[in-house]
Amino acid sequence: MTVTPFPGADIPAPVFDIEVILAGIDTMAVQKPVAAQIISVANSDDTDAKTLARILSSDIALAGRVMKLANSAYFGMRGRVTSLQFAVTVVGFTTVRTMATVALTDLDDESRLPGNFWDLTTSLALGASTLAPRFGERPPDSLCLGLLAQLGAALLHHNDPEGYAEIVAAHPTFRSRRAAETRRYGINSLRLTAVALEQWGFPAAMTTPLKEIDDYQTMDGALLRAAFEVAARLTIDDYEDIPIARLTLGRLREDDLVPILDLVRSEAAELKYAMLGQPVDDPEGNPDGWVF
Amino acid sequence: MSAWISAPEDDMVPPEIISTVFYSATVSDSLAILVAETVGGTQRLTWGNEGAMQLLGYGLEDLRTLPAAHLFPTLGGGELKLLLRRERTARMTLPVRMASGATVDAVVITTPAPGGRMWAMRILDTTNEQERALRATADAHERRFSALTERSPIPTLLSEQGMRLAHVNDAFCTLVGLRAEQLLGTGWIETIHEDDLDGVIEQVSAALEGAEVETQARLLRADGTVRTTVIRFAHLFTPGMGAGFVGTIEDITDRLAFEAKLAHQANHDPLTGLPNRTLLAQYVAEKFRAGTSGLACLFLDLDNFKVVNDSLGHTAGDELLVEVAGRLGATVRPGDLVARFGGDEFVVVCENVDEETAVALAGRVSEALARPMRLGGVDIRPYASVGVTVQTVEHAAAEELIRDCDIAMYQAKASGKGRITVLDQEARAQARDKLRLVAELRDAIEHREIAMYYQPIFSTRDGQPVAVESLARWDHPERGAVSPAVFVPLAEESGLITGLGRFVLDETCRQLAEWDHLLGTGVVGRANVNVSALQLDDNLAAQVADALDRHSLAPSRISVEITESALMKDPASARAVLQQLRDLGVELAIDDFGTGYSSLAYLRHLPVDCLKVDRSFVAELADGHSEIASAVIAMARNLNLCTVAEGVETVEQAEELTRLGATYLQGFSLAEPMSGGHAAAWFAAHSEDIS
Repeated sequence: MTVTPFPGADIPAPVFDIEVILAGIDTMAVQKPVAAQIISVANSDDTDAKTLARILSSDIALAGRVMKLANSAYFGMRGRVTSLQFAVTVVGFTTVRTMATVALTDLDDESRLPGNFWDLTTSLALGASTLAPRFGERPPDSLCLGLLAQLGAALLHHNDPEGYAEIVAAHPTFRSRRAAETRRYGINSLRLTAVALEQWGFPAAMTTPLKEIDDYQTMDGALLRAAFEVAARLTIDDYEDIPIARLTLGRLREDDLVPILDLVRSEAAELKYAMLGQPVDDPEGNPDGWVF
Repeated sequence: MSAWISAPEDDMVPPEIISTVFYSATVSDSLAILVAETVGGTQRLTWGNEGAMQLLGYGLEDLRTLPAAHLFPTLGGGELKLLLRRERTARMTLPVRMASGATVDAVVITTPAPGGRMWAMRILDTTNEQERALRATADAHERRFSALTERSPIPTLLSEQGMRLAHVNDAFCTLVGLRAEQLLGTGWIETIHEDDLDGVIEQVSAALEGAEVETQARLLRADGTVRTTVIRFAHLFTPGMGAGFVGTIEDITDRLAFEAKLAHQANHDPLTGLPNRTLLAQYVAEKFRAGTSGLACLFLDLDNFKVVNDSLGHTAGDELLVEVAGRLGATVRPGDLVARFGGDEFVVVCENVDEETAVALAGRVSEALARPMRLGGVDIRPYASVGVTVQTVEHAAAEELIRDCDIAMYQAKASGKGRITVLDQEARAQARDKLRLVAELRDAIEHREIAMYYQPIFSTRDGQPVAVESLARWDHPERGAVSPAVFVPLAEESGLITGLGRFVLDETCRQLAEWDHLLGTGVVGRANVNVSALQLDDNLAAQVADALDRHSLAPSRISVEITESALMKDPASARAVLQQLRDLGVELAIDDFGTGYSSLAYLRHLPVDCLKVDRSFVAELADGHSEIASAVIAMARNLNLCTVAEGVETVEQAEELTRLGATYLQGFSLAEPMSGGHAAAWFAAHSEDIS
């Protein structure tokens, strides 16, 4: 760790060199070229399912996850998805891209992640996706935003396991945790996610909420704030609820959350298994059965 | 610019080109470019082009004093590093602070120079007019689209991923009785009937792959009721996103219910609600497998239903039918079909039963029906005659089964009411034989294959032949001669009697005309023609007149013979018909007189000319019993009627009858029935004998 004070900055200087992490992101693409290619291609407006499926088919593990996700209860297709191309169509290009990002950044390796990472992430993603229409957002985009939001936290944890664990232990609420992250690393985990996503060409619509989450005066971060609240209520023991109206500038009431919480609770496990490619004995997980 | 930064070793670019590119960058006002440099550990701005100065509002001198962090107020702590990377280009969307202190949303792209101390920064204003206009248009489209679907009365779904809904409109929420939050995502799948879900997913798959499809599906409402709908799916593609669908739903529950009601009405009896004859036929046809067994039909006909209808009125009759329908339904086994065949006839169809079971069921049904019921203040027991048929290998078609139990029912009725009859092999064979015979009789009448024979009738006064009786004879090509005692009742039962009667009348007239032509007018003075009870209607006189007219004969050449029993069926109308014939000028005779029970008082008022003494009374003469023949002849004489004695077999009988005062004689001993040609020869010979 190097201590590099930033002259001119208004807040205390960070105690951790973020450059290490950023350098790490750059090397990921080299190690996982297929995932990197998908992230790059899926961004284009003229991308089609055929092209994505073709690239995807050279990464069996990733293709398997896409197939599994497409057949999961989340998309309601009940095992009807037997071709990779159709799987790409069903889950949508943004989701394929998100899954490639998950693979690229080793988010699928739970040993490298903070505890409770995927339980929180799937609840966050489902919460965002389910609430999206209330905020005028597209559910698939919000799902992906939720799935990737904690990418920054994962990177911080991976590069500074002890330091990050201390922060998590000392700050049970996300907002205070972000402040602590900024003090230690010079950047909070969500902004770090935004930086990484911008670097890979994800649209501003996806990065803006990450950057604006702590601005309680604007709606930009409201959906993500609400989704974090949903995820926290469902996954953190003894969590002290924050009134949802305050987080969403009055857009949501507590009553609105009741069906959302039920829905997220029932779908989260399935989505987690699909994202992580578990369980392994599932027939959809057998590469021989796929049609590319 | 990136060309020489990323490939500094490329020293092939001439300095003139570099200076040209640099000059154009310097003066460009559409491109905002800044250069930042690390000076003493801080990143400062060291240069900016015309475009950057216009965008930010700084002069070049002011710009050169600024720390780079000043431009980016949202980058706190060490975040400037994320923008000014040493090894690679970086791209961020963030607000950029202008000289006025206000910020402008921009995409900032930074490119480090070799060495990592200097960066070129491009600032792209994302809030330029054109983009704003585009976004406004897109938003307006979006709002119009959502307003359209939101307020549309057509339930509409919108998915942007698989079966997951991104949007449902109010009409759909109302249709299923749930809130949008409960339906979005995969929530709406719960509203699809389990049995229809596979079909829906299949069509969604097709829609996601580009097809326009539709499917019928039942939707479960929150209140537990079910609506039947047609869902139409259209493909929806969002560039860069993937495929979804738009689904519109048509609630066809009421339409189907109406159609079902119509179909029910077409196939059910409105009074009892039971399946009608049409549905019965369909049902039996569906269940019938030729060559198998196990299907049984019970044909029920209420005894004395007409009496109830006539005495207590049609309302009571309807009430009885409804009660019977109810009792039948309660008595048969689950799965048995009860149908109203028509009028007071009902049919029960059972599957997987043998004859014993079917008869036992018929017994239970009869018992159930015979329980007393109160109707119009009267206790009645609705007895029924029941015909039972169990399918055999001989049944080739479904309708034969119903026809057979119909026959069995008639047999039951004929053998006394309130009975159960099973149609056995013999009865079935007889019934079929009868059916075949009816068909052949129809052909025989149509093709004039019924032969007419003529038996002379003699006057007792001078022993001369004065008339003939026309006798129809059917020589069947296979069965030989079929007796009129068989084929006349058959013709009466099967509605062929009118045709047969008309043929007999016409052929007799034709023959009379021919004899007149061959032998001279009046040699065969008169022909007696038999008429069935069923012909005794208002058409008879006209038919006779037509036949006479057709062959140019006087009415007196014909005598119409009607049996006593036929006259007694409906005496009033019989009398009217006789009067019409009498007015026409034909003679009238009562056949088989004395075998019925006609009132003599009534006989007195009938406009007849002649009584035919039945052959049974003539036969008694041989045993020395002349009482009845004598009384009949005496009575006729007293009523001023002539008499014809039939069945005269011997000379002694002829003499005795002449002595008793009979007017005419007819019998085998005097002359046998003969064909028209033989009769002509016979009459010719006879007249020669006389002459």
